[in-house]
Amino acid sequence: MIDQWPRYEVFKQDQADGPIRNVGSVHAPDAELALMNARNVFARRPACYGLWVVPAGAILARTAEELAREEAAVSDGDGESVTYAVFSKRSQRQAMTYVDYVGQVVALSPEEALHAAVAAYNDPPGIVWWVCPEHLINRSDPADAAALGAATGKAFRMPNHYHTVFTMQKIRRGEEDGA
Amino acid sequence: MTATLDPVVAAALAERLLAMADDELILAHRNSEWTGHSPILEEDIAFSNIALDEMGHAAIWYGLREQLTNEDPDRLVFFRDAGDYRNVQMVELPKGDWAFSMLRQYLFDAAERVSLAHLTAGSYRPLAEAAAKIQTEEIYHLRHTGLWLRRLGLGTEESHGRMQAALDVLWPYARQLFVRLPGDEVLFDNGIFSDMALLQREWEDAVRPYLAECELTIPEEALPRRDIPRTEHTESLMALLAEMQAVARTDPMAKW
Repeated sequence: MIDQWPRYEVFKQDQADGPIRNVGSVHAPDAELALMNARNVFARRPACYGLWVVPAGAILARTAEELAREEAAVSDGDGESVTYAVFSKRSQRQAMTYVDYVGQVVALSPEEALHAAVAAYNDPPGIVWWVCPEHLINRSDPADAAALGAATGKAFRMPNHYHTVFTMQKIRRGEEDGA
Repeated sequence: MTATLDPVVAAALAERLLAMADDELILAHRNSEWTGHSPILEEDIAFSNIALDEMGHAAIWYGLREQLTNEDPDRLVFFRDAGDYRNVQMVELPKGDWAFSMLRQYLFDAAERVSLAHLTAGSYRPLAEAAAKIQTEEIYHLRHTGLWLRRLGLGTEESHGRMQAALDVLWPYARQLFVRLPGDEVLFDNGIFSDMALLQREWEDAVRPYLAECELTIPEEALPRRDIPRTEHTESLMALLAEMQAVARTDPMAKW
């Protein structure tokens, strides 16, 4: 079933003023369920203010090196101008390809959008670049922010709520009978 | 707070809370049987989360009962026999296929959403406050199962057939959610909870059009059935409890 459902990249914003960052992906039959799956997989325990999902197939990704090797895309001129969302990875600290949302460009093709993105947003320099048509992003409703947040009142979900290790140590020391 | 409750009201409320808690606990257990077996990883996580949410709600209702009766929730859960459980039969039925579990959860969530709205307006503050806290989660549950209902109901011939088969079984059972407990009238008179007939009307007003939208046909001919009291159970509950209680009963003095 896994390969019958398309993959959606998931972007998470921890706080209202925080970066919108790629955190991984989910499989889903459509964008609506993708958003729901994203909530279940990536929110609830950590902080979360908002979620975006984008069909993985709609994203064009290049490294800065690949872009430098390519000729700047020449548009054929008869396409339609589309607004693209631009994502960029600007730090090597995270090993995974976690990109942040940096802004928008208008272009006739995704290739052109990538080059326009580098021209517009390369300060600080991006290491990896993603673009996708803006209209394909499915965003969580800001009114849902409260429900996306961490379920902090649920200590029983956490393993450390049960003091298992502590109790086992006491039993081993003979301070408490395990029976 | 409990001191302000008349003993008759407290006893009636304790019984209603036990019914609410048992419904959530048994449903949570059935849902947890999908953990590791759901149709896809993402759904496995989502439905396990829903199971945990329901377990959390059960803990809240048992806790409110404990304030009235001093009964330890763990003892109630692990050392009561089937005959003393007060859940509806709908939640104890085996998990069935995915359509069955989704529809059961949907029908239950829709009922819970209605009853929570009434409980938040009730006169017993601890209950009203707890209900308000739970409401947000229930909205998400309903959204989740609602989406699945539409996709399976309007999906392929097979998915629609399975969903319809699930509704044919579950619809008459769902009615039991609104059967009055002997003490419910006292709660109604004291403004703690609303009348079950009103809740059922609101529930039907919500689920009937939605089921129709999913092209599912309500098996009206399966009604009317007699009002099944919450003291009656199917044999499924015994099997479920045997599994759920086995570890706790192996060593009743064990510390957790």
